[in-house]
Amino acid sequence: MLSMKNISKVFKTDLVETHALRDFNLEVNEGEFVAVTGPSGSGKTTFLNIAGLLEGFTSGEFSLDGVNVSNLSDNKSAKVRNEKIGFIFQGFNLIPDLNLAENVEVPLRYRGMNASERKRRVESALEQVGLGARMKHLPTQLSGGQQQRVAIARALAGEPRFLLADEPTGNLDSLMARQVMELLENINQQGTTIIMVTHDSELARRAQRNIQIVDGQVCDFSMYQPAATGTR
Amino acid sequence: MLHIKPILSSLMRSKSAPVLLLLQIILSVAIVANASFIINERLSLMQRESGYAEDQILTFNLYNFDPAIDNMKQNQVDQQILRSLPNVIDASYSNMLPLSGSGWMDRYVDGPDADTAKSTPGFAFYLGNEHLLNVMGAKLIAGRNFTADEINTSLDDSGMMALVSQPLAKAFWGDESPLGKTMYQGEQAVTIIGVVDKLQGAWVDHENFEYSVIQNIDFGGSSSNKSYMVRALPEHIPALEEAISKALYAENPNRVVENFQTLTTIKNLTYSNHRLMATVLSIMVVLLLLITALGLTGMVMFNIQRRTKQIGTRRALGARKRDIIEYFMVENYLICIVGGVIGGMLSLVLGQQLMSLYSLPMVPVIYPIISVIGLLVVTTLAVIVPAAKAANISPAMATRSV
Repeated sequence: MLSMKNISKVFKTDLVETHALRDFNLEVNEGEFVAVTGPSGSGKTTFLNIAGLLEGFTSGEFSLDGVNVSNLSDNKSAKVRNEKIGFIFQGFNLIPDLNLAENVEVPLRYRGMNASERKRRVESALEQVGLGARMKHLPTQLSGGQQQRVAIARALAGEPRFLLADEPTGNLDSLMARQVMELLENINQQGTTIIMVTHDSELARRAQRNIQIVDGQVCDFSMYQPAATGTR
Repeated sequence: MLHIKPILSSLMRSKSAPVLLLLQIILSVAIVANASFIINERLSLMQRESGYAEDQILTFNLYNFDPAIDNMKQNQVDQQILRSLPNVIDASYSNMLPLSGSGWMDRYVDGPDADTAKSTPGFAFYLGNEHLLNVMGAKLIAGRNFTADEINTSLDDSGMMALVSQPLAKAFWGDESPLGKTMYQGEQAVTIIGVVDKLQGAWVDHENFEYSVIQNIDFGGSSSNKSYMVRALPEHIPALEEAISKALYAENPNRVVENFQTLTTIKNLTYSNHRLMATVLSIMVVLLLLITALGLTGMVMFNIQRRTKQIGTRRALGARKRDIIEYFMVENYLICIVGGVIGGMLSLVLGQQLMSLYSLPMVPVIYPIISVIGLLVVTTLAVIVPAAKAANISPAMATRSV
């Protein structure tokens, strides 16, 4: 599903070179739920950005869904992001001037989907996250947990092959965090591959696999048993 | 694919800045449309063909102070002197100078009974001899010029003849030829013997500016102060001023020859207010468009700064660079089109008010339309660069804390 071989990412300025990732290797299989943890500055976000084709890398090989995506043009990267990847951000990243339905519709419009298909998918995605009745509401009229569910609906509407979640519960209280996590687990059970970056070790334990990044390298692969309190 | 609906929704929910810009565009279109119309009106006035050999005509004033002078005889002698000067094509006395803003005006009636006769429109009333037409460079298109023996010296003489301008002929006689028609000035009959293609009067803003008549009277003997027109090739005009003064003073030193001007200079002076108005309005239009462009650029730059993360998110969700550029272009085109339509209607209302208050012609619909098109061009130029800058925002911005 996702294969990174010897990926390096170097940020250069006139004075210093910073190695955000060095010889980074990772294989993620289809249908996996992988948690990525690590201390601040370890390279988690850089990994997520590269995995989501949000930024390029300095060297190495990266293939996604069996396709080498190392040297894609900007337009092709945008197409892959739009069609194969769903993003969930820590700060939700909803567009405040658009209502929930319009927010969920954003990636579908960039895919050039017709209006009726967009409508069907938006309704289905918002129903799936339990917000079907609030489609005309603005993001500011929702709680943080609800906003994150809208962001998840936006990611799901495009029916992506895998979801990249950047600290999806980072801005939520524990109850809402648990609800969001349960939602992600349900999505994963339906076959969507999920890679989740998190600081929360308890949430990480609920994933099938936990990867730790330290100093830009994968330092440990641990297979976790499903948590005793988890849904699986 | 143009995402007009969500852009419109977004604009409607965040109104302040777009509304201010909308007001600016409405006012700009209303003012630019009316100003452009006035500029075009003025330019059209200035670009009218006068029918005269403007750069070949030198005019001057002659003041005879000597009480012993026989003005009638002196006028004939002076014209002979002028015509005999080297490089002079022709010379003539004229009671008024074309395009000068000063002159005579009259009208004819088509019968001896003032109560029943129909009057021509008012026309510029030139008095001159058989040389005047040639001096003016005007083109005779029907009939004939006066002959030397047909020239009168007083308004009371008999045997009056006239050359009329074609616009006057058309206005009064329509498609019928005016040649041979007898018109009346009071009780005096005047026979139309020729039609001149163009013969403008003295008052450039007058509605009857193209209506003129030359009557066969050399009136130069009636007064001690008179105007003459001398025709020569433009390259000979500068030297001619001195030659004319020298020759006329040699004939009689007790007089003043002054105020040499070519007809081009007279025309430029006469139209100077129009030129000034057109220039000032043009500068105003340019400044207004510039200010609007700056307003648009400012709003786009402000929006880019405000929406940096949003742009990154859109890119992360699959927007291509061209989608981001398109977003900002469509957003501003929407404001511009709405502002343009309202501003266009306002300009027509404004034009109607100007028409009733200052007797100006109505602003044609094409001016608001052209103003809106111009504004769309300005919008494109003002928005494209900041929009392109926005398109370069990295999709990775979506995961950053900004």
